[in-house]
Amino acid sequence: MPHSRILASRRGMLKGFGGVSAVALAGCLGGSDGSDDEGQPSEPDRDEQEQLPSATIALDDDPTRDDWNYYGGVTPYWTNILEPLVWVSNEMELEPWLATDWEQVEETVWEFSLREGVQFHNGEEMVADHVVFSIEAILEEHAWAPGWLHIESGSTVALDDYTVEFTTTDPFPTFPGTIAHNMVAIQHPDRDHTEDNVIGTGPFMVDAIDQQQEVQTVAFEDYWDEEPVLDELVFRVIEDPNTRALSLENREIDIALSPPRSRIASIEEDDSMFLERQSRPGAGYVGINLHKSPTDDTTLRRALNHAISQETIVDTVLEGVGEPARGPISPIIYWSAHDEIETYEKDDDRAAELVDESSYDGETLSILVANDMVDGSEMAQVLEGSFSSIGVETEIQVLERAAYSEAERDGEAHLILKESGSNSGDADYIIYEGFHSDGDVNQRLYRDEGTGLHNLGGEVDELIETGFQTADEDTKADAYMEAQHHIADEAVTIPLYYSEFIAACHENIDGLELGAIPQFSRWTSLEHWE
Amino acid sequence: MWKFVLRRAGTSGFVLAGVSIITFLLMFFTPGDPAETILRQQMGGQTPSTEAIEQFRDAQGLDDPIPLQYLDWIGGVLQGDLGNSYYSDTAVSQLIIDNLWPTLELAVAGMVVALLIAVPTGVISAVHKGGSLDYGSQLAALLGLSMPNFWLGYLLMLVFAIQLSLLPTSGYGSFDQLILPAITLGTGMAAIITRLLRSSMLEVLDEEYIQTARSKGLRERVVVYKHTLRNALIPVITIVGLQFGYLLNGAVIVEIVFQRPGLGRLLIDSIFARDYPIVQGLVLVIAVFFVVTNFLVDVTYRYVDPRISFEGGDR
Repeated sequence: MPHSRILASRRGMLKGFGGVSAVALAGCLGGSDGSDDEGQPSEPDRDEQEQLPSATIALDDDPTRDDWNYYGGVTPYWTNILEPLVWVSNEMELEPWLATDWEQVEETVWEFSLREGVQFHNGEEMVADHVVFSIEAILEEHAWAPGWLHIESGSTVALDDYTVEFTTTDPFPTFPGTIAHNMVAIQHPDRDHTEDNVIGTGPFMVDAIDQQQEVQTVAFEDYWDEEPVLDELVFRVIEDPNTRALSLENREIDIALSPPRSRIASIEEDDSMFLERQSRPGAGYVGINLHKSPTDDTTLRRALNHAISQETIVDTVLEGVGEPARGPISPIIYWSAHDEIETYEKDDDRAAELVDESSYDGETLSILVANDMVDGSEMAQVLEGSFSSIGVETEIQVLERAAYSEAERDGEAHLILKESGSNSGDADYIIYEGFHSDGDVNQRLYRDEGTGLHNLGGEVDELIETGFQTADEDTKADAYMEAQHHIADEAVTIPLYYSEFIAACHENIDGLELGAIPQFSRWTSLEHWE
Repeated sequence: MWKFVLRRAGTSGFVLAGVSIITFLLMFFTPGDPAETILRQQMGGQTPSTEAIEQFRDAQGLDDPIPLQYLDWIGGVLQGDLGNSYYSDTAVSQLIIDNLWPTLELAVAGMVVALLIAVPTGVISAVHKGGSLDYGSQLAALLGLSMPNFWLGYLLMLVFAIQLSLLPTSGYGSFDQLILPAITLGTGMAAIITRLLRSSMLEVLDEEYIQTARSKGLRERVVVYKHTLRNALIPVITIVGLQFGYLLNGAVIVEIVFQRPGLGRLLIDSIFARDYPIVQGLVLVIAVFFVVTNFLVDVTYRYVDPRISFEGGDR
């Protein structure tokens, strides 16, 4: 509780400056540092208001779907009912959570010390056996879990009540970051995931679940950390973004996560609402097929880069949500080379010259877009127009997600519009999956034909491996930075924007703490005023 | 009557078998590997390992020859087992039952709205043919037809939820949460029925027996509602029957905009997720529904218009 008061006053002060910053930022939307509410014009006088015991948050995702063990079906997603051993800060740093400490004792052996005195919602104390149970349950129920966590059944052992030992199948330095993931939350063995009987350690407990509608939670009095301000928190499912915004306007909900971009301006102008922003470890970019003619020509790829204005895309298509990107890795990831990367300035004349110098002879390039990418089609149209003005013809191919994935991996398109991101404290796989020859998108063509999509191979593969295999942050940053320089020099991508997570709130809400990984948002300091 | 029922049951069996085979084949020829898609979804977008994909394919029998997979599936169906979802392992029949009621409720409410609007409008329009009432209702019908469902949904929310604060914007469970979705879904349908009823009424009004009825000195109200409307309703019933089936699927957008559970959403989500067992089970159930509706429409004809017989000349 004391923490939340300090926070509230800090926010109060920030809000005092809110009006000034709103004006200052009006001309340069997107220049947000992801901190507090630029959108709030004035500080409401809380002295005359009473606190309310509950609040309702509208999600764009359905946490009631299927049972509580599945990814989309919210193990602990959004609701903070379950918690992992390791937490992720908004600077993408790992923080002790249910584990207070961890150590790599051998190349493949990790020892985690558990926090003492943590209680489950059923009153039992969390001990090492519960961690073993939770990990074993994931391994047993999900075929993909062993490959993802690099552990097998039987290799998680309770050394004593508060120490757990994990043995990975191979040296895996990003293990702590990988389990800093909501999917790897600690659950009590008495939970019944098919009956929505959830027993975790989080600040909120399940009260009632209304399928496809809402999850009602209540504060857990014996929570080990700062107890929530609110007594009740309701997570309402409203998947349609416009309906979410209208529900906020109608006061049926207090916070709408990810409101539609088309309504941002009106939310910011409305005194009864404000917009909260938070940078995410994600980026939108065009991946260029390096192994298909004519985009196998570096000169042409550089030309395409010079044709694009990231600022225009962020200001127009994205309505200022996000920041113009310089590389494919978000700067909130500590090893991102954002500050060092040379950019290709928007320069149509230079671009046209490069097109002439290149091997391009008028063929139509394809731009592949997934139908569920928010604003993907609009962005593709902007790209199409920009390329056309430097004499490169393109056609947009919008495919439904599964078909898009297939077409991408088969290397059918020249240009692929995509978004990267991380849902855990391990952000290393972003560079591996996108740019290593054996990474997700390149793997199929690389293994079948020795080619790939966005992989430069050779030295870049080695640099990515070095970064991936080291636990030393400086070595990692150096290796990845070098790899990112190569990626930029060879124009493997056209960076577009760095992602931002936004929420629209009613002005009677204080203390909202959005997470850089949105699902890691905390709700304990949330206050609701009359 | 029984001969008719038996014959219809026979053809229905063929239709359903055909539907099941075609759906099965279509799903397998659709790009996008279900193993990879489902696993990726379970992992929140991360890449499943090749081993995990192989294990999944093996466990679900996805590597078996397609005819064998079909026989496996249809064998289960004939014993009342529609299989389990790839994604969540929930029984498909359970998912369908869970989602059936909300969709049915919406479809019935939508149809009620449609008929409440369409019957009086259609009749008035026909009776006052060429008058301002007729033009007005035709214009309204045109508007109703051309207005996209989702747009009307937002518009209704703006007016009734935000401006007038009478109804909630979205959700499922209470009667007031059903009103706006029902109006959204019902208006498009109302437009179709109005136009159909109008032309059908005009046709019947021209018939000789109507002239006779009038010449006998019957009151216009009796002529219109007892003699004309009853006969004019026959083609309308066909459309209502068929449209009711479409309502079950067509409710998808309304279900999404108003955050309602339902079969339409279930189907769309499953198609995108490549969750074949749900898609196949659901398509089959919808096909059964259409076949049954058609049958009921035929039977209803018999009662509305005794000239149509079950024996010779079945329609």
